[in-house]
Amino acid sequence: MSAVLRSLDSLLQRPDVWRGDRLAATDVATSGFAVLNAELPGGGWPLGALTELLADAAGIGELSLLLPVLQGVAREAPVAVVGLPGCAQAPAWAARFSLTQLLFVEARREDIAWSVEQLLACGGLGAVLAWLPEKVDGKVLRRLQLAAEGRRSLAFLFRPTASARTASPAPLRVRLAGSREGLRLDILKRRGPPCGRSLLLKVERPLDPACAALRLGMDGDASAGGGARDTRNTRKRGLHVISGMPR
Amino acid sequence: MSAGAAPAVHALWLCLHCHRLPLEVFAQLGGPAVCVAQQRVLSANLQAEEGGIVQGMRLAAALSLLPGLVVFERDVVREQETLHGLACWAGGFSPHVHVAGADELLVEIGGCLRLFGGLRPLCQRMQQEITGQGFDVRMALAPTPRAAQWLARAGQSGVCLDAGRLQEALAPLPVGVLGLSQAGYDTLAALGVSHLEGLFALPRAGLARRFGVELPTWLAQALGEVPDLRAPFVFPETFTQKLELPAKVSLAPMLMFAARRLLASLSGWLAVRASGVSECSLLLLHEDGISPTRLVLAFAEPTRELARMERVLRERLDRCALVADVVWLVLEAKTPVVMPGSTAGLFAQSAAQALGPVVERLRARLGKDAVHGLTVREDHRPEHASAVVAQGTQADLQTGPPRPFWLLSEPRAIAERKEGLYYKGRLRRVAGPERIESGWWCEHAQGAGEDVRRDYYVAVSEAGEWLWIFRDKAGWWLHGVFA
Repeated sequence: MSAVLRSLDSLLQRPDVWRGDRLAATDVATSGFAVLNAELPGGGWPLGALTELLADAAGIGELSLLLPVLQGVAREAPVAVVGLPGCAQAPAWAARFSLTQLLFVEARREDIAWSVEQLLACGGLGAVLAWLPEKVDGKVLRRLQLAAEGRRSLAFLFRPTASARTASPAPLRVRLAGSREGLRLDILKRRGPPCGRSLLLKVERPLDPACAALRLGMDGDASAGGGARDTRNTRKRGLHVISGMPR
Repeated sequence: MSAGAAPAVHALWLCLHCHRLPLEVFAQLGGPAVCVAQQRVLSANLQAEEGGIVQGMRLAAALSLLPGLVVFERDVVREQETLHGLACWAGGFSPHVHVAGADELLVEIGGCLRLFGGLRPLCQRMQQEITGQGFDVRMALAPTPRAAQWLARAGQSGVCLDAGRLQEALAPLPVGVLGLSQAGYDTLAALGVSHLEGLFALPRAGLARRFGVELPTWLAQALGEVPDLRAPFVFPETFTQKLELPAKVSLAPMLMFAARRLLASLSGWLAVRASGVSECSLLLLHEDGISPTRLVLAFAEPTRELARMERVLRERLDRCALVADVVWLVLEAKTPVVMPGSTAGLFAQSAAQALGPVVERLRARLGKDAVHGLTVREDHRPEHASAVVAQGTQADLQTGPPRPFWLLSEPRAIAERKEGLYYKGRLRRVAGPERIESGWWCEHAQGAGEDVRRDYYVAVSEAGEWLWIFRDKAGWWLHGVFA
């Protein structure tokens, strides 16, 4: 009997075995937020596994949430961005990353998942960020998870919150919602006990909301007035004016 | 005759006997097929053999056995060209390649075993690549080229690595492997010699009298007693190879099978020249004077790796719609560049090396500009502040007002109500205005973001979205997202 228990104990020591009542130990990269690390299995974003970020709104800080981990990763290996829902603005990326480390992939809706699979399977990337189309087949996600397994890449998939209703092979699923105070996270699925609380993170924003009113040349909630026509007026209010000449 | 008299042989010869070459030159896909010469079956594929067709059978008899048989007339010139293509491919393994007879290749591999990780990996890779090209070959290994030829012709994949035991290995082979004339075989039959064992037992001087000096010389060469000097295969200076398709092809993916042969040749040819290509083109020739279709295969960096070239070609063919049926394929590599050989890495390969092939594959499927980097342009207009480049370049860090991670492809109008701006609830402006007024020199200002006069603000929606909005003459617009 004791021999059986001993062998069971040694089995439970294996890193690929996790018990439902505690967080699994997996290879991770720290998220940069202590509150979040405490709730994620292994203490960070998982390497070699899919992470789904479910959000309906754009601009709530979904990318800023990942900046700490991506900046760390991009120093070592390139980062691929697939299916960005707009035209990337180089100045914003250059302020945070070395542009030599970024690879942007623009794919048609039906080719996005294929591109992500290829990028994950090559294993040479530090991270893959992808905005998946609204409807993705479960089989496709399964393929992506298989492509990610055994590699050391981070894989973040942005999907609409409606997809929380369908099953996914991703071991970590987080729902994001914006609020005045910061970014609200609900961990919907993780390798461990269910996470009962939602987390509020102060992610990087263009400016601190507290001093926002100071930066604003006029009243924060001023009704739309002035505008581009009355240059003279706005200049008096300490307007930041850029007038370009051809260089 | 004794093993001690043989010179110290370190060479190891691999013979590839393409026993179905007359038929295989037609790059036929599926179905029973035979190649005939003078109304007799010269070579049949497996399916035809299963149907009971044997070599030497009359064509009429063969057709009566299998009415659906595809028949090709023998084409010696094409056989020669195909064999030369294979010789180029074999150059990928060793620079010592010889074309022997009409359907045999001899490759000296003794010197390159280490490079390929030993005999077994090398043979496996060779077998795999040649099967992939649609050839059914018999391989044999021996310390002398002639012994390798005989072993290969005998059919079993014969291996003899020890020069001292050559005679033992050759003895059980039938005399048919010698390739004598019919008269020669008749004489051997009259002597009662059916296997090489019997020949080895006969005195050489007597053999020379009956068969001419050739036969005893061959025997001596096979056993390594006298040198076997052969003219090496001369690799062509430039690479342009043609392949005629056995039937008109109307679907591009079906060309893959035939094109693989050309790529395999190119890969070997490049290895011999210690070069690689960053671009090569496959011409698809059509009938009736329709101008040929050119598929340019571009690689992220010079390469000669067959698998990589195949992947790019497959993507191109999958996406190619043919204007007309294809009858010929031509592969051209005009600009080989010298590329140092690869050494087996002690550590894991660098990320950039791992990334090259995948970038190529994405570009082949999605288009050349679909995979790109970014660079900062010195322009205040948001639409012109970043440029798409093949590889991102580092920019000087500029501090300035915040910029969003991405812009909408077109500014979206924001409703303006009595109580303020409205976008998914009330919109609160938190920073701004930042006036951007530039591009007045653009005469044709129809394009978005050419001649701009805008006041930009950072705004937060009730849902907590941080947005970049601007106001111009026409009203309020949503332009970017601080993700």
